[in-house]
Order: sequence, then structure tokens, then C-alpha cells
Amino acid sequence: MNVHKLWEYKEYINVNGVMLTSELISILQNSLTLLQVENHFTHIQYWGQIYAVDVDYHIAVGITTDALSDRKYFYTTDFKFWGMLPKPKKKYKQLSLITSFPFRGDPALKIKVLDESMDEANLDRCKIMKEESRLSATISNICEESEICARGQLLKQPSGTIVINPNFYGLTGPEAKQLKSFLHIRVPHHRWNTNLLTRADYNYSMDFLDSIDQDIPGGCWNLSVEQGGGLVYLKSLYWPGMMYFHKVRTPEAGFLYIGNGRKNLDVPFLL
Amino acid sequence: MSQTFLLEPDIIAATENVMPDLNNDLVLAKNFLKQQSAATGDSLYDHLVDIVQKILSQKPPDVVDNFEQYSWAVKQEKFRPNFDLLNDIYLAPPQLAVVRRVDEMFRLVQSKATKLDNIGEEEQELDLEEDNEKPRIQDLVDHNYYFKEGGYGLPDRECYAVYISMIMLGIKEPVSTVRFFGKIFGTKANYYVAETDLTIEELDRRIREFEMKDMPGEGEGMEETGQVRPDEHGEMLGEGEAHVPVSKEPVPPKLPPEPVSTWTAPIPIPVERPGSGINKKVYWVCNRPGEQWVCLPDITPDHIRVARLSVRCMTGELDTEVITFPPFDGSERHYLRAQIARIAAATSISPQGFFTFGSGEEEEDLDLEEGGGDMEFNPNPYYQGHTLKDLLDSNLTYWVHHGRHILKQGRTLWWNPNAGMDEALEEEEDEGPPPVEPEVGPSLFSPLSEDARIEGLPAWSTRVSSTLCPDRALVVIRSNTWPGAVAYATTGKKSECMYVGWGLKFQPPNFSPLQLPWPKDEYPIGPEVMEMADPTFADEEAYRIAHLPPVPPPDLLGEGEGYGEEMEEEDE
Repeated sequence: MNVHKLWEYKEYINVNGVMLTSELISILQNSLTLLQVENHFTHIQYWGQIYAVDVDYHIAVGITTDALSDRKYFYTTDFKFWGMLPKPKKKYKQLSLITSFPFRGDPALKIKVLDESMDEANLDRCKIMKEESRLSATISNICEESEICARGQLLKQPSGTIVINPNFYGLTGPEAKQLKSFLHIRVPHHRWNTNLLTRADYNYSMDFLDSIDQDIPGGCWNLSVEQGGGLVYLKSLYWPGMMYFHKVRTPEAGFLYIGNGRKNLDVPFLL
Repeated sequence: MSQTFLLEPDIIAATENVMPDLNNDLVLAKNFLKQQSAATGDSLYDHLVDIVQKILSQKPPDVVDNFEQYSWAVKQEKFRPNFDLLNDIYLAPPQLAVVRRVDEMFRLVQSKATKLDNIGEEEQELDLEEDNEKPRIQDLVDHNYYFKEGGYGLPDRECYAVYISMIMLGIKEPVSTVRFFGKIFGTKANYYVAETDLTIEELDRRIREFEMKDMPGEGEGMEETGQVRPDEHGEMLGEGEAHVPVSKEPVPPKLPPEPVSTWTAPIPIPVERPGSGINKKVYWVCNRPGEQWVCLPDITPDHIRVARLSVRCMTGELDTEVITFPPFDGSERHYLRAQIARIAAATSISPQGFFTFGSGEEEEDLDLEEGGGDMEFNPNPYYQGHTLKDLLDSNLTYWVHHGRHILKQGRTLWWNPNAGMDEALEEEEDEGPPPVEPEVGPSLFSPLSEDARIEGLPAWSTRVSSTLCPDRALVVIRSNTWPGAVAYATTGKKSECMYVGWGLKFQPPNFSPLQLPWPKDEYPIGPEVMEMADPTFADEEAYRIAHLPPVPPPDLLGEGEGYGEEMEEEDE
């Protein structure tokens, strides 16, 4: 969520009982504004926390031109130094789903990931992964599957660049109660015309992303309406700790993840 | 299709003025823009006017970048139906339903408060009595402040509404203490959970009810088991009779005896009575603050057992069927209650010395060996708080459990299954039930350091709320086994725990459903039912030769041949 609006959003944040403290918000605003200036980002967003044993990681996203492909992720444990996360590798993305060790809070730590058979000697079975790569892979997994925006929050311009819509006025009440008004922030998996034609009122500049109602199994997204229809929360059962809120008919919306970075694979049993 | 319609004076002007003229060009251009589209009846001129008007009135930044969208928004606005013209319907704001509910609650609480005030003014003595009867309600607003300092808690508006509804619970229901347990998310609605102790009268009534129900209940159970057995015998006899006439006429096949099921249902572990063990506290839930609180039923050890073996999301409707594989006996209200019992047992924690056995006023003889048993504990008046460093210590020795551990049996107090078995099944003495080791869980007030770790992750993580001003700082501790369970402790005398989450335990690597047990053997294994290889030709031949009728004249050659044949067979 937008770092400069954290004070306003404070009241809406509610992930498994977690709220942001005043101290955290003050520190975040300070250090992230500095980070934004250093890197010339047009937007900077607070992404969330990943719990670790010793200290928790805090993650921020910087956006320069393209809101989809031009994202840079930063992490910190002490708010003084923000380190840029490396590009997630496919190998590590798979490994980070397998490993069951907790994060330790030390980015340089090397962890061994064992395949199903515990064979440390076999190099094919045992992979070594730095915690930094694991962090970046985990974050990329979470973004891929659960980072979402309301329809219209991101716009595709005729030039092909994707921008955060400055004139986003929010969804209407009935729209906000439908899962198909929320879209994945990721390079679309479906064909462009599939995404476009699932809606009757399609719009080339808005409906270029995958909508979340097509995710499997149906019910893996939990949409709850609060304050008499004024506020919509979306939670993913796959990533407990993920939260998206949207205040109906206002541009206020934000994504936050606070959790241990583990995918919940039990979703089919939960429903 | 669009057509060019020029107004008459314009046509005349156009034909008359051959010379290029600015006014003329303007008129022509304006006419072109005013062409009406046949499909919508709209003209570009009006559209542009609307856009310019909208942009100038709203003055958004960087219009040029989003001009297309603006144009689109203007077009969309034109087709919005105007309901007011059709009929004068007043559309109430969507918040109305919430307001109605909360308003009712506020009225109730307010009327009670004023009534108490009046009594207090008029009759001082009565007021004292009232004070004793008045339920003790946890100061949620205060605790929530500290939770929020630590980065957890409920949003303000929610917290206050819950607090008022807890007061409502205290007014409406026979409870003596009310504590906010937490919030459990569901797929359709969320549950707010309040933890209460009943008043003595209500508790007595429930215990009496429980005993009334329990005694005949056990009798019924016995009858049922008694009934089943004669039935089985009857069936067996019947089948035996049926077999006899059939088997007379054709060749009587020698059938192995009909298998008899040797499975007997395990003796149900007795339920803990209201006010003790897992049913010590009574939990009330509601979907939204202001709604009627619903009392959750007491649960049986079997509920705990099944809840431990399954994962499931709450739906938010108490009467939903719970479909799991070992079958769950009850609806979602039982399941919710079982999960709450498990969470409460695992995550009720406080700093060491915060609670004490007995009243805490005087030294009492304590039987700590019994693991705390079902003993009462109370806030310790001599608790002075711990330092920040002690509370933050990652060994967690300064934090203790005050929730009673639930044993594998599903009870907090161990129940000896053999004691009951000796009486009930005296006939089967020869089986000799093996003496069961009494199951002992960690005792009450055992430190968190003894909790099991999950894959290298300690069961609890401590965090300090503030690094900038250590004077204000407090310690928050969060559970890793039950994500969402947190507790805080200040360096002073405040401490509380709370649960906000999905009611799911963190079970790495992931959940695997209980496997079906192996099918039992239907028949005793013997030569009749065993599979064996068919005899080969050679075997049959050997058998035939071995059983040949004795040849009267023994011939030397024949013997030799026979011997040779046998050798060949052996070679084969």
C-alpha cells in the first residue's frame, strides 16, 4: 500500500489481528521516502512483512514507469539499510515452496533444501539456497498468486506501458461484491481476449489482467464486506496473512502481506 | 450511418460566399461536429462540451494522459438511469442494517446503566449487593490499546462495539465474568468469541441437567450394545437354518463358518461436566457486534479427537454440517467450540507469577504433583511484573501457560479406561486389559520453553513494540503453532492474550488426511482360503505313480524305467 497514505490506511489494516503501530508507520514513511528519492521512484509501496525467527523482514516495492514489469523489491530488517532483492529464479521459486524451514532473519544464510528423500550427499537431491534468494522467490510467488488490484486501478496505455491510474474512483457497491472486479497484478496467464471477453462491459485499457474469480478451487478467495458495504476485504486462503482492502467508491485500496511466507497447501481440505 | 445536415442559412451562406472566410469555415466545422450519430443520437459537439466542462470543473491533474478515459467516463454518465424521475423511492444507506442492530444494543446497555445509577443513588446497601452480582467484564478497550501498541488488536470502531456487546452479554445472560477471547474468520462471516464463567446458580443448573442427561444416556448406551449382540446372534442362527435345507440336496460344500465381527466399539471417554476441564469456560459467539450472542455447547473428548485429525475453515453459520473423515458428531458449533478449546489450551499464556493457585492471598498447601489438576487459579495480587529483558528472553522461561493442557484422550484430567472396563466387562477377564500408563501433560504454569518446536521454529516468537523509546515499550509474543494467537505483557502489571485468525493450526509440511484402516481378515487363514500354486503336470504324474495300485509281477526293466522317469521329473 502507498507509503504516504499509511496513516489513513492504518484503521483498515487487519491481517490476522495485526495492525501497524504508530512507530512502525513513522519509521517506514521516513526511510521509504528517502529510498524513493534515492532511486527516483514515482511510486513506493509498503508490501508487508515476512516473519523470521530472529528479526522480521519488511518489504517495499518501488515503481518507476511500468507498474507491472518495472517493480523493484527491497527488504530490510532494521529500516536503516534497504537491500534490493535479486531477480527471482525459477529454480528458487520451486525450492522455496518445498522447504519447510523458517526464515532466520539473516539474508546471507545458506540453507539446504532437501528433496523428498533425505540425501545430503546427492547433489541433485540437495540444493543450497541463500536466504536472500529464497526471500525474493517467496515474494515473487506471493505476488504471482495473491497480489491483486481492483479493476481500473491499473491502466494499460496505448503505448503498452501499464500505469497506476491516477483517476481511479473506486468500484461501486455491487461491483465490489464480485470477485471478477479484482485482478491479479502479474503478467497475464490467460490469453488477452479471454480476459477481455469474460466481461460484457469490457474495456481494453482495464481488462488486460487475469481476474481472480478464475482461480482454482473456487472459494480460495475470501471476500468479506464490512461497515455495511463500505469496505471490502479480500483474503487468499493459499497465503494466510495476505490482505487486500478497498473502500467502496474511493480510490483507497491497498495490498499487504504479513506472514511467515509459507503457502497453505491444505486449501482443498478447508473448503 | 450519419448524414450531413446543413442548416438552410448555412447552405445559402456556403453557396453565396465563394471567397474563403473565417466565419464561414467556423460555421461549417461546427455543423460537422454537430452531426448526430444515428445510433445514439449524440453529437461530438455536445460530447466535447461535456468533457471540457467536466475537466474544467473537476480540474484533475495530467488530463492529457488520461483523456480517453475521461471521454469514456462522460459517455458512461450519460446512460445512467435516473430513478428519481420514475418513482420517488428513498434508498436507505447500506449502513442502515448495522445501525439498527447496534442502536438496539446501545439502548439496552444505556437503560441498564441509568437504572444502576438510580439504584446507586437511592439504596446504597442494595447497590453493594448489585455490585457483587454484576458480571466482571474485561476492559477490552484498555487491553486493545496495549495490543495496538504492540502491533496487534482490533480496529478502534470494532473494538468499542465489541466491548459494548460484551456488556450486553453480561446484562442478558447469567454470566459472572466476560473476557474477549478473539475473532475467528469464516468464509461467509466472522465469529467474535467471548469467554465467560457462568454464575453459580446457572452452573449448578447445568450440572444438574448434565447429570440427569448423562445417567440415562449411559444406560441407553449399555442397552444399545446389549441389543446389538442378540441381533447378531439371531442373524447368525437364521442364516444357519437357511443353510441347512439348501445344503442337503446337492453336494454339501464344506463352508468355513460365517465370519463374526470381533470389533467392539471403544468405550466412550466420559465427557467432562460443565465447569470443569475442557468445558470449564462457556463461550459465546456472534457474527457481528450487536447481534445476539449464541452460547456454544459443551463438547465431548471425541470432538477434540476428530478436530485434531482434520482441517476445516469455519463458514460463519453455526448450523453448517461438518464433513470430515473421521466423522464429526455435531454441527459447526461443536467444531468451533472444539477449535476454541484447543486454541485456549495451547495459547493461554501469561508472564510467570501473573496467576497463582488459590486466592493468592495466603499460602496454601498445593499439590503440584497432580499437574495442577482442576485447581482454581486467580490473578496474583503480589505480581510485580518482569523486566523487558526477561520477557524478551528467547528461552521463554518467564512466560507460562495458564491454559490446561488437553491430553490425547481429549480431556484435561486423565480418565482411567480400565477402571470402567473392569466393571463393565467382567466376563472377558481373560483378555486382561493391559495396565494403562496414566497420561500426564505438562502441568499448569509450565514455562513456554517446554513447548515443542516446529521444524526448527520455536513455538513462540517475542518482539518488542518500540525501539525508539524503551520506556514505553512492551513485549508481544506471538504463537507460531496457532498463527493469530498473541499475548502482550508490559513491564507493569498488564498482560492479556487474544486470538484473531482462521482457527487453523500450522502443521508443516502440510495436512494429510487420516488413512482408512486396513480391512480386517474375514476368515481365519487356513488351507481352505489360502492361495496356493496349482499342481503341474509333473506333480500330478508323480502323485499318480505314487498311488498306482501295486503291480503284482515286479519287473526289473519296468523298475529301471520307472526310476529313470522319476529322475527326469526331478530334473525338470
